[in-house]
Amino acid sequence: MIVFKNVVKKFGDRTILKGISFSLNPGEILFILGTSGTGKSVLLKNIVGLLSPDEGEIFVDDQEVSMLSESAFSSVRKKCGMVFQHPALFDSLTIFENVAFGLRKHYRLPEDEIRAKVLRALSMVNLSGIEDKLPAQISYGMQKRVSLARTIAIEPKILLFDEPTTGLDPVTTNAVNTLIKDLSRKLGATSIVVSHDMACALAIAHRIIVLDKGQIIAQGTPSEMLNSTVPLVEDFLTEVKNANLVV
Amino acid sequence: MLISSFNRILVEILTEIGSMILFVKEVGLTALRFPSSRRLILEQIWKVTTQSVSTTALAGFFVGAIMSVQFAMQMNEFGAIGFLGGLATSGTVREIGPLLIAFLLSGKIGAFTSAELGTMRVTEQIDAIRCLGANPIQEIIVPRFIAIVVASFFLLGAGLIMSIFGGALLGYLFAGVNYEQYTRHIPTIVTLPSILSGTFKSFIFALLLGTICTYKGYTATGGAKGVGRAVVSTAVMTMIGIVIADWLTSTLSDLVLKFFVEAYGHGL
Repeated sequence: MIVFKNVVKKFGDRTILKGISFSLNPGEILFILGTSGTGKSVLLKNIVGLLSPDEGEIFVDDQEVSMLSESAFSSVRKKCGMVFQHPALFDSLTIFENVAFGLRKHYRLPEDEIRAKVLRALSMVNLSGIEDKLPAQISYGMQKRVSLARTIAIEPKILLFDEPTTGLDPVTTNAVNTLIKDLSRKLGATSIVVSHDMACALAIAHRIIVLDKGQIIAQGTPSEMLNSTVPLVEDFLTEVKNANLVV
Repeated sequence: MLISSFNRILVEILTEIGSMILFVKEVGLTALRFPSSRRLILEQIWKVTTQSVSTTALAGFFVGAIMSVQFAMQMNEFGAIGFLGGLATSGTVREIGPLLIAFLLSGKIGAFTSAELGTMRVTEQIDAIRCLGANPIQEIIVPRFIAIVVASFFLLGAGLIMSIFGGALLGYLFAGVNYEQYTRHIPTIVTLPSILSGTFKSFIFALLLGTICTYKGYTATGGAKGVGRAVVSTAVMTMIGIVIADWLTSTLSDLVLKFFVEAYGHGL
């Protein structure tokens, strides 16, 4: 479904992604873990054409996308819904209009169908009844969930999450993690989640990739990760164990 | 050391100007190929006009007043006080009006637009627009750009009308020139070339402001600091750009006027 072949991305003299290769099967939930600045978000943005790789190939549904023009990316973006690190809601639009935005741009649908899809998406993230509010009138956690609703409203086959729980309290973090798992299952979507949260990855992911300094240093299923001897993975696991001890 | 720093700064400036020209080209092509929604453009025109009309009118009133006081002092000595209104208004229409409107728009709308777009950039709203199947240049840049250019004409008109009132009031209070005397020579001194020159200047200043503030906001990077940097550099670049453009347009206007005088024995 998604294939990376030796993808290299540079910003000036700095090489952010150093020959990344992996593939993702339909319906799979892949977590990409790593410390800040290792290129996790850059990797996601290459899939939807917000950035272009300097070398290598990226396939989405067997279509090579790394050299596509902005207009040609439209069809890829219909398939790939991206949830950003920030809620990225449009301040001047109501929650309804925010969620309807992608539907109006990607498809020509009658207004009653748009309304039905928006309300369905909001109910899937447990936010029914806030359609007429503005983003500034709801909490940050709710904004994150609206952002999720806006992405799933277009019913993408692939969901890309860029640190979906950053800046959220533990209760909302758990709610969002559960949503990711449920949505992937309900929509039958393939998901890539960029995160720092190893505990969540162990609970939800089918597969985990650990990035460090632009390279994949470990990958495998959650149970394989638990037995990893890679120092950074051990550090992540220690964090999880410490958190469990505190609890 | 000094030469290499100079070279680096020169390269940076040229790179910035080149990027800005490419940006304007993209905005122009997008505006022609994928017209923005009329509703979005009208909303932005309304926003820019209403945000600045009171400040522009107030400043216009006092500019007229200042011009009137300054001219009155000189003209009294030559017994030409009857021409006070005509000369003060001509100076405002040709030079001070467009310059003043441009500076005010730069401070209010330029900074606001740059900050708004910069915030949209660093909070990933612009990326979200692209991912949701829309073109950010068409959705957010073209409407703001057109609004700044169109609104500058409305604001120029409002500022000039208020400057006549300000000039007339101060002309009466300071030099005893009544309203009828003040406005009598305006139609003869404020000629079509004066109006065209002022309108042309205002148009060029608005293009410059629209380009700089949308470009700096759209390309902002680096979180809140980056937005701050974009706003500051919008303010600095527009002020410098407007002064340079004023010199260029004044020179150009003079050349055009001289050409018509030499060719046809009179101006436009």
